[in-house]
Amino acid sequence: MKTRFLFPYWCKYLGVICFVAHVPVVLFKEQLGFGGAGTNDGTGLFNSQHIFFMVTTLLMLTGLVLFAFSKERIEDEQISQLRLDSLQWAVYLSYILLIVSLAFSNHQDAKDIMHLNVWVPLVIFIVLFRWKMFRNSRYIKDDAI
Amino acid sequence: MKNNLRVERAIKNITQAELADLIGVSRQTINTIESNRYVPSTVLALKIARVFGKPLEEVFMLEEGD
Repeated sequence: MKTRFLFPYWCKYLGVICFVAHVPVVLFKEQLGFGGAGTNDGTGLFNSQHIFFMVTTLLMLTGLVLFAFSKERIEDEQISQLRLDSLQWAVYLSYILLIVSLAFSNHQDAKDIMHLNVWVPLVIFIVLFRWKMFRNSRYIKDDAI
Repeated sequence: MKNNLRVERAIKNITQAELADLIGVSRQTINTIESNRYVPSTVLALKIARVFGKPLEEVFMLEEGD
């Protein structure tokens, strides 16, 4: 099946590597020299904070996007349909979450919620899609015919 | 839409995995079509019918309410 706008299958593994790679950077922020005050005033490009942001957030987001939108080993129309359904539900759920959480938050919290919303829809999509794929494979009965 | 996929497979003596290989889809897809959880596209339905050497209407048929 010809599919457009999907990354090759191996990008799924690249996505996992990117996502996993950002974790130690966050955990060892101080040791890696990103936690120190002084040089970074929070403004401008390529200061300590900006590089930390690029290494962590962008690495995590790239990993999630690659993992979410890579082809399966055997890509067919049913999997495309599952992907589309999961994407629709992920958008619905994340916007419901966003609306509800914004309704019960003040200005400062709203900023944090918007930050969360950078990756929450992708995570919901990945969980839904993997769950549907898992459920599909569980349905298979051993046909000895 | 219902189908005779299981019967046709039995007549031809092929497994879901073999049928999936023949038409280039995953085994899950064949399984979901057989259990009426997924309605295939026209192209996929035609490919399946061609494997069994039968007209489309003998493999897939409309149900009441379709």
